[in-house]
Amino acid sequence: MVLTKTAEAETDLVEQARQGDRHAFGELVCQHYPGVVQVVYRLCGDPGLAQDMAQEAFLRAWIKFPSFHPQSSLRNWFYRIAVNATLDVLRRRSEVTLDDETIQMIADQADSPETVLINKERVSFLQKAMQSLPEAARSVLVLREYGELSYQEIASVLGVPVGTVMSRLNYARNRLREILKTHQLLLENEHA
Amino acid sequence: MHKDMHPLLNAYLDDELQGTRLQEFKIHLASCDICQGNLKELGLISDLLHAAPTPEFMPAERFASNLALNLPRRIRRNLPMMPGQVAWWLIPVSLLAVLFFVQTVFTLTNLVTAASAIGLLGQVGDWFGGEKLTIWFVAVTSLFGGQVNGMHSTLAWLNELNVFGVTLLEGFLWQVLIVLLYWGWLFVWSRRHRQKSANS
Repeated sequence: MVLTKTAEAETDLVEQARQGDRHAFGELVCQHYPGVVQVVYRLCGDPGLAQDMAQEAFLRAWIKFPSFHPQSSLRNWFYRIAVNATLDVLRRRSEVTLDDETIQMIADQADSPETVLINKERVSFLQKAMQSLPEAARSVLVLREYGELSYQEIASVLGVPVGTVMSRLNYARNRLREILKTHQLLLENEHA
Repeated sequence: MHKDMHPLLNAYLDDELQGTRLQEFKIHLASCDICQGNLKELGLISDLLHAAPTPEFMPAERFASNLALNLPRRIRRNLPMMPGQVAWWLIPVSLLAVLFFVQTVFTLTNLVTAASAIGLLGQVGDWFGGEKLTIWFVAVTSLFGGQVNGMHSTLAWLNELNVFGVTLLEGFLWQVLIVLLYWGWLFVWSRRHRQKSANS
């Protein structure tokens, strides 16, 4: 019931924003900004850039709003614009890749004797490892893990078949697992 | 074998498996140590990804205020109506058109009937279907034949009166039906309009 009311309220705001109501658009931005900025940040790994990209995405959305179909999901539409805007910028920038030397360096840091810190190191390592994934696989992983979208929704956001989403997700997780295993950051006996 | 299972492991982890595939996979998983190990590793990766700290971003309200300052002016234009909206506004227009049509048909029919009855149309009146006979009139004339000869003109007059009455009633019912539908549309429209005003 509450959900229906929220959905109805959003539908009204969408209609008003389509007509050019800035206040209604502002309310929609407030609702969706946390999700959008989180997804963008996980894609680019740079908080400053994430904030800029979120702004760029909402500006693009404002301009394109009259063409938005109210029947579709607004969240997914914002995600699509944000992901495309971020990937455009990342493509123009030099590729963020982790070569073997960098991975070794991070692994060396992670091999510190203080086991208390290992989890923190692993998280940091994983974040960097994620940036080394190809952007197609990274986008799928980010939308799944941080956007919490279903496979069908990811497929719709990225404009690819569900099968492609599954294979990219499979690739991304396996790649991360291999990297962690290679550097003994995923201990088999840990979760046995 | 276990390589083939990887996409299913991911789908299982993400709650994307359903029905028979889910049941089959659960059965396999219960008896396969390798898949159980792989699933745990994938789960751990997911946990680690979620454990990654998120930097503190600008609060949503401040972000929206800043964004509002940068929003370009959008040329206000009349948006094309969605198919549903077009259909919605076509309802009263169609009802009014049908009412106009029905009204015209009945007025013309009455005029022609009246003109034909007083002999203004001569034999042309027959083109419009000639004399209409009610069931009771046909029954009486066929049953009693010659016995009703004397009363034939009275019966014929009653028959015409009956036909006129039925036509009038038909016309009236049509009009009532159309008017009721129109009022129904107006009622729904006013409710939606009031709801919209209350929400804004």
